Amino acid sequence: MALSADTAIATRALTKRYRDVLAVDALDLDVRRGEIYGFLGRNGAGKTTTIRMLLGLIRPTGGDVEVLGRRVLPGTSDVFAHVGYLVETATAYPNLTVGENLDIQRRLTRAPRAAVAEAIELMRLGELAERRAGTLSLGNKQRLSVARALLHRPDVLVLDEPANALDPAGIVEVRELLRTLVSEHGVTVFISSHILTEIAHLVDRIGIMHEGRLIEELDRDQLRAKERLYVEVGVSEPRRAATILAAAGFAHIEHADDKLRVYDAKGRVPELARALVGAGLDITELTQAHEDLEAHFLRLTGGAQ
Amino acid sequence: MTFAQVLATEFLKLRRSKVTWLTLAALSIGPLAIALMMWIVREPGRAAQLGLLGTKANLSGLTATWPAYFSMLTMMVGIGGMLLLSFIVAYIFGREYTEGTAKNLLALPVGRHWFVLAKLVVAAVWWVVLVVAALAESFALGATLGLPDFSATLAVRAVHDALLAAAIAYLLVPVVAWIAMLGRGYLPPLGFALAMLALGNVFIHTGWATWFPWSIVPLFIGSIGEPSTTIATSSLVVVALTFLAGIAATIAQLRWADNAQ
Repeated sequence: MALSADTAIATRALTKRYRDVLAVDALDLDVRRGEIYGFLGRNGAGKTTTIRMLLGLIRPTGGDVEVLGRRVLPGTSDVFAHVGYLVETATAYPNLTVGENLDIQRRLTRAPRAAVAEAIELMRLGELAERRAGTLSLGNKQRLSVARALLHRPDVLVLDEPANALDPAGIVEVRELLRTLVSEHGVTVFISSHILTEIAHLVDRIGIMHEGRLIEELDRDQLRAKERLYVEVGVSEPRRAATILAAAGFAHIEHADDKLRVYDAKGRVPELARALVGAGLDITELTQAHEDLEAHFLRLTGGAQ
Repeated sequence: MTFAQVLATEFLKLRRSKVTWLTLAALSIGPLAIALMMWIVREPGRAAQLGLLGTKANLSGLTATWPAYFSMLTMMVGIGGMLLLSFIVAYIFGREYTEGTAKNLLALPVGRHWFVLAKLVVAAVWWVVLVVAALAESFALGATLGLPDFSATLAVRAVHDALLAAAIAYLLVPVVAWIAMLGRGYLPPLGFALAMLALGNVFIHTGWATWFPWSIVPLFIGSIGEPSTTIATSSLVVVALTFLAGIAATIAQLRWADNAQ
């Protein structure tokens, strides 16, 4: 595949089939150098399978993967001198200390000796450096895995759910760290997460996977444009209220718990209020808001389950 | 350089591992048990007083001499060693899947075949240390018991036989490594090792014994019948081919199979 020098990760018609299950279906993806690309999708959407193919951990049924201009296949090794990664659960050798686990990564990536201390400091693991990995909490194991991914100062970071098991402070820390890596070192970050609002705060672009297909890609501006304005109405008898509003000419009404969301009420809030009060209903709340990424995501992928 | 670094990491992974001590303890029990049997044969009265010899126990075929002691020692290293070495290899290869660390090894600037080769070197070093320790322990125990009929020629022969049985056992374990990778854990390779040991003892009664890799050690050490003084060339070729095929299959498994851990 012919790619621009600007592209860090690219896939063309990337497909993975497990017998009758099409896990990834002809995925075309381009991640530019120096951007943070958020990869969203529900469980089973094909995110982790895609990430595994990006890293050569599993063989595609069809299509190609290129990372930093080099084709990736199972057994590819050279390009991974420039790639750090974390796939799904954080793992480490339980009998070894945090420092020893990182020393294994240092040796295998041919990083300098000082890299271990730097990674420990970066992920604030100093107090745990001599602790056996088997005794770490899940959150600290996750920090160790992120430290392992960063240790050799990669140009591309592939992170599958890096916020898993981290406490809120840890999530903010990782977010800031990723921003710094991108802004100061030009690192490309490919990140999947189920914490959609977290992704929205962090990424330059998002791709939404659903049933193995990339169904939408948005940059920040497009994401903002997608945020739909709506009026949330708390009202007695919501079902009757919806009927009354429909009769009054409001076409896009959704039920959200015991409230109504009216999507075509921009500039018509007084009219909406008059219609409900005139019908003898009590309005308990009237709020104007934007639909967030989560709502957009759920709409695209078939609603909440 | 790459291999040296990978090898260093493989040895580092054993630090504080209880399994290393467990295997040492397991192999150390063998010479102790054999020495105890020698002592019971030599001192049946005292053994009976201590409750070590039951009224129905039958050790009549055994003599408390260095030749008998060495014969049992070779059998222990050969048969027990095949199982223990399989356990070691199952641990070295299978732990990467059981502990979930295999995925951390597969997207690195290191050819995957180096991991297979380094792990096999670690298994070899581990095995040599265990066998040498067991032999040293055996000599010490035999000397303490004051067994008769010792000679330097006999000792050299015993060490030679034990090392040869240990070496053949080692040449069979790359297949166990492959099963550990295929089965992604400890249990499949251990099950395979037990099954092969059983099959080896079945084949030993047939004309195929010299051709079946897992029959060759039992045949050599005389687990049934008299021990062989030599190993047939065809058997050596079979063992060598098994070794090479096991390495090739393990490398291919790590290189080409999906690692969706």
